[in-house]
Amino acid sequence: MNRLLSTRRLTDIASHAYIWLLLLLFVMPFAALVNYSLTGPRGEFALQNFAYVFGSFTENLGWSFRISLLTLLINLAISLPAAYGLVRYNYPGKHLLFAFLSLPLYVPAAVLGIALVLTFNFTYRLTTSEWGLVLAMVVGSFPLMLTPTVVALKDLPIVFEEAAQCLGASKWQTYWRVVFPLIGPGIGAGMLLCFIIVFNEYLVTLFVKPTFITTAPVRVFNLVRTAGLLPTTAALAVVMQVISFLAVLLFFRIYGTRYLKGTYLL
Amino acid sequence: MSSVRLDGITKRYGHTLAVEDISLNIAEREFVTLLGPSGCGKTTLLRIIAGLIEPTAGRIYFDQQDVTYLSPRARNIGFVFQQPALFPHLSVADNVGFGLSVKGVRKDVIAKRVEDMLALVGLSGYGKRMPAQLSGGQQQRVALARVLATDPRVLLFDEPLSALDRNLRETLKYSILDLQRKTGKTAIYVTHDQTEAFAISDRIVVMNAGRIEQIGTQMDIYLHPATPFVAEFIGANNSLSGVVTSVQEGEVTVDADGLRIHCRPHSAFREGDAVLGYIRPENIALLNDKDDHDVHHIGYINVFDGVLDRVIFEGATAQVRVNVNGRELRVDVSGAQRLTLSRRGGRVRIGFNDVTLIPKPA
Ligand SMILES: Nc1ncnc2c1ncn2[C@@H]1O[C@H](COP(=O)(O)OP(=O)(O)O)[C@@H](O)[C@H]1O
Ligand SMILES: [Mg+2]
Repeated sequence: MNRLLSTRRLTDIASHAYIWLLLLLFVMPFAALVNYSLTGPRGEFALQNFAYVFGSFTENLGWSFRISLLTLLINLAISLPAAYGLVRYNYPGKHLLFAFLSLPLYVPAAVLGIALVLTFNFTYRLTTSEWGLVLAMVVGSFPLMLTPTVVALKDLPIVFEEAAQCLGASKWQTYWRVVFPLIGPGIGAGMLLCFIIVFNEYLVTLFVKPTFITTAPVRVFNLVRTAGLLPTTAALAVVMQVISFLAVLLFFRIYGTRYLKGTYLL
Repeated sequence: MSSVRLDGITKRYGHTLAVEDISLNIAEREFVTLLGPSGCGKTTLLRIIAGLIEPTAGRIYFDQQDVTYLSPRARNIGFVFQQPALFPHLSVADNVGFGLSVKGVRKDVIAKRVEDMLALVGLSGYGKRMPAQLSGGQQQRVALARVLATDPRVLLFDEPLSALDRNLRETLKYSILDLQRKTGKTAIYVTHDQTEAFAISDRIVVMNAGRIEQIGTQMDIYLHPATPFVAEFIGANNSLSGVVTSVQEGEVTVDADGLRIHCRPHSAFREGDAVLGYIRPENIALLNDKDDHDVHHIGYINVFDGVLDRVIFEGATAQVRVNVNGRELRVDVSGAQRLTLSRRGGRVRIGFNDVTLIPKPA
């Protein structure tokens, strides 16, 4: 009994230690960044760097939000019907089509950027507009939205749609009142992924952005390249990190409580 | 409250015929059960009636209206699935009100109707709960309330009780029947469970391999099975295969591998006909040894000597296996006789009158 207890205790300690080690590994770089962002010109503790974030950086953050939200909306409008078509209907070449749609996930950002510049220049002449940038973000990120939506829809028993139909709901009512709410966690996961990726994307943005737009990550990149790593730049980076983190928290707050607990699985 | 008429319904999946040339008339307010083994096409047929599946051929009529190519939505049916399939993100009240809500009915009208329906299924006061907070039986009752709320023309049930435990099944099947009687709806009910079918149906449609074997009341299909499949699928039966050797004054004698069996069939047979004979276990009597050998004295036209192989005491009855000339017959014994069986054993004598004769399929 005693020996059993002690081995259990040992594994307990080991597993705790492991978790703390992981936390340390992941949190340390971020902690270092925060620490640096709070350092004044003479190495003292200072909050003044963050004044820049709400001063000269607000425009960059604003662009990032704007581009991210527009991208999200377009992704949503594309992914929901696409996912429904992919899961609920059968036709030849379905799997090939899905693989093809997921292609941007496996293509390096630089390759995607070059490809987009070529396409936009020769086909749409979109490089000089905000919509060109949004379109580029959509191309790169919409598989992130599509995949979780497809998975959620595959997991959703079709009987709910049939029940709604038999009760007199139109197709449209079935989507809005039954299907979309029930695949909410999937859609939410996709939106979260998209937001974080698009909000932090700089490489593709560098390729296709018009000159009047500078998003937050591009600003960070430019500043680091021209002036080295300044505490003010670190402050902007910290704010971007916090925004991404808040997005994750929000997701769990909304879906963790209402949906993930009592799933629709019968 | 519509009558339902099926005319030559066929559904083909590639090379498999799920449902083959089914014609059926169901009267207004009638409770009809589709009964058959798993895979015989019951669900397919029911979903075709609902409009969830389009038939390969044939027509469906509600009253005089041809609904063959109408969507489920336009047919105004109530479909109860095997799982309750309540919308998990909506409260019980919103589930019950769903059908009216999508039709744009006013909120206060819906609320009143929801209350009435929940009262009807015995769940008053449960409206605010979420489906996950109800037991399986309660969920299925909410599902019933949900379809009844839309006042459908026909109620369709696809094994609605098979996911529930036995006690619940017992009570819920009568609840379903009561609701159908109260609301006067036409009901089509699918099950593979014959006790369920016998308990609630006005008529039973026995299906096998995509086709209808027999349509009739409980008594029709139990006492007068029309096909070998029905005779073997419904209840327990002893089956013998033989040839008609003589026909005299309505009495037919069959030779079944040496056993000479006398029957009084309802239909006509001729000498030389190949037949299948079925004898219900409860229609065979175990006779006392001292019973007279004169068959007319004891009232059995068929009497055989055999050896008692096995006795299984099942409570209300005892199941006895008797070996007659190398052929095992099942005999169900009830009453006081079942209590003295285990001490007997050895040689026994059996007697029976009722034999169902069916022409042997080619
Ligand atoms: N979507 C389908 N594709 C191919 N075969 C099917 C399909 N649905 C049913 N079947 C076949 O049709 C037959 C009848 O099925 P079903 O109606 O579900 O039977 P039951 O409800 O009586 O168990 C089965 O052989 C089944 O394999
Ligand atoms: Mg079935």
